[in-house]
Amino acid sequence: LAKNNKENKMSNLVEEYFEAHSSSKVLTSDRTLQKLRKRRLSQQTLHDLLKKAPLAYAAEIKELNQQHESLFSKWMLQLHLGFNIVLYGLGSKRDLLEKFRTSVLQDSVHLVVNGYFPSITVRSILNSITEEVLEHIGTFRSPLDQLEFIIKRFKEDSSLELYVVIHNLDSQMLRGERSQQILAQLSSLPSIHLIASIDHINAPLMWDQAKLSLYNWLWYETTTFSPYVEETSYENSLLVQQSGSLALSSLTHVLHSLTLNARGIFRLLAQYQLENKDNPSYPGLSFQDFYQQCREAFLVNSDLTLRAQLTEFRDHKLIRTKRGADGVEYLLIPVDDSTLTDFLEKEDEDV
Amino acid sequence: QIQEDLNKQLFDNLLSFLRQSHSEFQEKTTEWTCRMKSREIPTAALVLGVNVTDHDLTFRSLSEVIQNNISPYIALLEAKDCPGIKNLMQKLMGQLMNCHIDVDSLEDEDYVQVSQNRVRCSMTSLINWYETVTKKTDSETLRKKRTSSSRHCQYPPVVVIFKDMESFTTKVLQDFIVISSQHIHELPLVLIFGIATSPMIIHSLLPHSVSSLLCIELFQSLSSKEHLSTIIDKLLLTDRFPFKLGEKVLQVLINIFLYHDFSVQNFIKGFQLCIVEHFYSQPLSVLCCQLVDAKKRVNSLSHNQCENIRKLPSFRRYVESQVSEKQIALLTTDSYLKEIIQKLLEDLHVYHENYISVLRCLHVFTSSLPKYPLGKQIRELHCACLENQVWETEEYESSLQLARMLNKSELVTMLQQCVEIFVSSFGKEFDKTVEKLKEFLTQFQKLEAEAFQEQDVSVSSQKELQKKTDLYHLQKTLLELKESRRSKKLTKFEMLRFEVVDYIDSLVRNYLVPADHKTLHEIVYFNTASVLREHLNAAPRIALHTALNNPYWYLKNQALKCDGGSISNKAPDICIVYKLHLECGRLINLVDWLEAFSTVVMAVEGPNSDAASSDQVDDIIHARFIRAVSELELLGFIKPSKQKTDHVARLTWGGC
Repeated sequence: LAKNNKENKMSNLVEEYFEAHSSSKVLTSDRTLQKLRKRRLSQQTLHDLLKKAPLAYAAEIKELNQQHESLFSKWMLQLHLGFNIVLYGLGSKRDLLEKFRTSVLQDSVHLVVNGYFPSITVRSILNSITEEVLEHIGTFRSPLDQLEFIIKRFKEDSSLELYVVIHNLDSQMLRGERSQQILAQLSSLPSIHLIASIDHINAPLMWDQAKLSLYNWLWYETTTFSPYVEETSYENSLLVQQSGSLALSSLTHVLHSLTLNARGIFRLLAQYQLENKDNPSYPGLSFQDFYQQCREAFLVNSDLTLRAQLTEFRDHKLIRTKRGADGVEYLLIPVDDSTLTDFLEKEDEDV
Repeated sequence: QIQEDLNKQLFDNLLSFLRQSHSEFQEKTTEWTCRMKSREIPTAALVLGVNVTDHDLTFRSLSEVIQNNISPYIALLEAKDCPGIKNLMQKLMGQLMNCHIDVDSLEDEDYVQVSQNRVRCSMTSLINWYETVTKKTDSETLRKKRTSSSRHCQYPPVVVIFKDMESFTTKVLQDFIVISSQHIHELPLVLIFGIATSPMIIHSLLPHSVSSLLCIELFQSLSSKEHLSTIIDKLLLTDRFPFKLGEKVLQVLINIFLYHDFSVQNFIKGFQLCIVEHFYSQPLSVLCCQLVDAKKRVNSLSHNQCENIRKLPSFRRYVESQVSEKQIALLTTDSYLKEIIQKLLEDLHVYHENYISVLRCLHVFTSSLPKYPLGKQIRELHCACLENQVWETEEYESSLQLARMLNKSELVTMLQQCVEIFVSSFGKEFDKTVEKLKEFLTQFQKLEAEAFQEQDVSVSSQKELQKKTDLYHLQKTLLELKESRRSKKLTKFEMLRFEVVDYIDSLVRNYLVPADHKTLHEIVYFNTASVLREHLNAAPRIALHTALNNPYWYLKNQALKCDGGSISNKAPDICIVYKLHLECGRLINLVDWLEAFSTVVMAVEGPNSDAASSDQVDDIIHARFIRAVSELELLGFIKPSKQKTDHVARLTWGGC
């Protein structure tokens, strides 16, 4: 009966999947954040606001953490016996690992890797091992060579011991096949002890059999419920002002420093783009058309000046060029329409 | 340190065993490598099975054997080191040089020369490797070949092992084969492919033009299941190791092996973990050692440890079965307790010895029965015996019934096997059983002789039958025959057979008592399967799901208690956001989501917030929402979508 139940459950699950993905049409309301008339919060104000909000269930969370902390000595034993430890569960495990580091690893050589940091690479991890732990100066041709060197050194010198603490082993930068391979090989060394945390639900997909056996994981569930403060601070959320794409303030700043004609050129392009915003197949304004229009508005006098101007725009990431199917260059402003509308309104006010 | 000793002992045993099991297979290959000398590149394809993790050991021992017996030149190439032909050549060169050094390390001058070679090679290779790659590496290797082959009078082949054939890029492999086939006359190469799937892969990876350059011979390695059964045989079913696995733990380990990875290495890892866990968590595990040591340690037990022993459930059972004066003595005086413990430990030890031989004996019987009611492998039998009183199960019943129908020759061979087992076991109690079994055997031999006689009789009677054509006589003899047949219902043989089976049955009942019923079994048996499952076979997604769905599981706050399905509005933010997102389809509108969230949260704070600060509260809620959503994004439940403005796409489906 139990088996039957299970099968039923399985088929239900499968049906649910197809149900979720069957209709390409999605029924959601068309409301957008823009219409909410709410300014987008910047990273800083968000941080300040969150500070004001009290953390719920602090006492219980503390109790949970204490439970996990009682495992520290066991972890040490297991690390010494050649296992590596991976922590999973809801909540940031950063503080827990940090505590582990300060309370247990204080006296031994250890390396902390902040996986959530967006510019971390395997090479930088390897570099910090070779430069700071092994005190070797010199460069390597490839990470593989570097790895080989490290392995050789650790095998020669049995007194060397290194603890590596990796926060978020499954982060964007480290989840690649090659970096995982290198980390797995590192962790398979008997004198390197690895303790890492994962958060993503599909994190175990990173490892195949070979890597798993290199890692030699022991899994520990450490659900902490503590907020991912550091980890999400780099995550470009939808609701936070994004530094990557152009914001309104930076747009106006750049344009204010330009000549009147240049501003006119940009306006022309912006207006044209807004006129076509409902057309999903709008490729952008082709250079020839744009030149024609600018000439008609007496904004440029030659092909060359327009090109020079566009290069300047491109340097400031105000426009993007795209080559169409017919080989013609099309010009686009990589800013969302609402920002552009705001910009034009503001320009009109100024003028 | 006991653990380390144990670990080491165990590991040595395992390694030697694995070597052994491979050696036969290796001998075949090595012999073959010796033999090969032809125009094409001789290639050995080793079909190794999907348990990639165990192959390392195989290859290591293989290369050792080859190095000792045939040729000093071995390169082990792995796919991850060779993304291009250039890396492959470099790696190959480096390894060949190293091999050379290893072998010649006794002769100093050679060493210097070779290392110089190496330096020069790597330097030049650094400068303009690309133009001269083929020429230089080949000439280099070839020269080396010549210099050294003058010493090794017969031309030893250079063996190149491709560890993981499947993960090599086709192009690299093809190029290498083509290049090396050009130089096969000067450089006798032998390739060995390690194949995890099936030999078909060679043909799908290499086009005909390339594979025709190879002369492939196929070798099959032992299946990992056989490895497992031998390992279980050597590790668990011996009395050499005092540490034992409980039934559930063993079941978990075997399940992981059979249903997940087929990896012997992982099985060993699990076993290691069991040892660590046992010695870490069980305070009485100090007594888990050889009997002589254990007795010494019992004498030096502290009072606290004695108390621990008294707390053991199995010991309590034991105490309760004693007379009252004895009970008092056991519970109060430590010295008396120690005496008893020594005796009990001895009992336990004897029990193990007997158990193993009787188990093997039973296995001999059951493994030949049709349909294998108690399992084909000894591990299944072992599990069944550990789990329950085996004679109470239906399977045991049916197997006994089947055993009662065995024919004589089978029965005799089985009995002989049993005798062998008992003779080889050291338990002294089996003298009697051995005698008994031998008696059975002799009886059988007698029976055989009698049977011959009987046959003679019947033959003669038949002759008589043919002789006498008289109708009356014929009728009479036929009647007699019929009569005798009816009375022969139970021949001597059949009687004896019943006797044997019953005897085996009694053996089983005496010696195969499950370990749980023994006193002090906690000391040597590790039986917390949940620990093992948690740490080896974890399910991060389930943990996340329960934490998000039912935070009360972790945070023991009364406010969070709720019946499943509904959203408790006092739950942590991320749980509320998660529950709301579960109600959506494939795409989620952020605005609606935010509004739903603020409604839920406001329901809590509503009464005590005044209108003036509502804007402030709104902002805070907005911020909390942002935090929760970005946390969900980090966890991989949603991702930003470009399909519609201000929407996110759900990456999971259904209720989880």
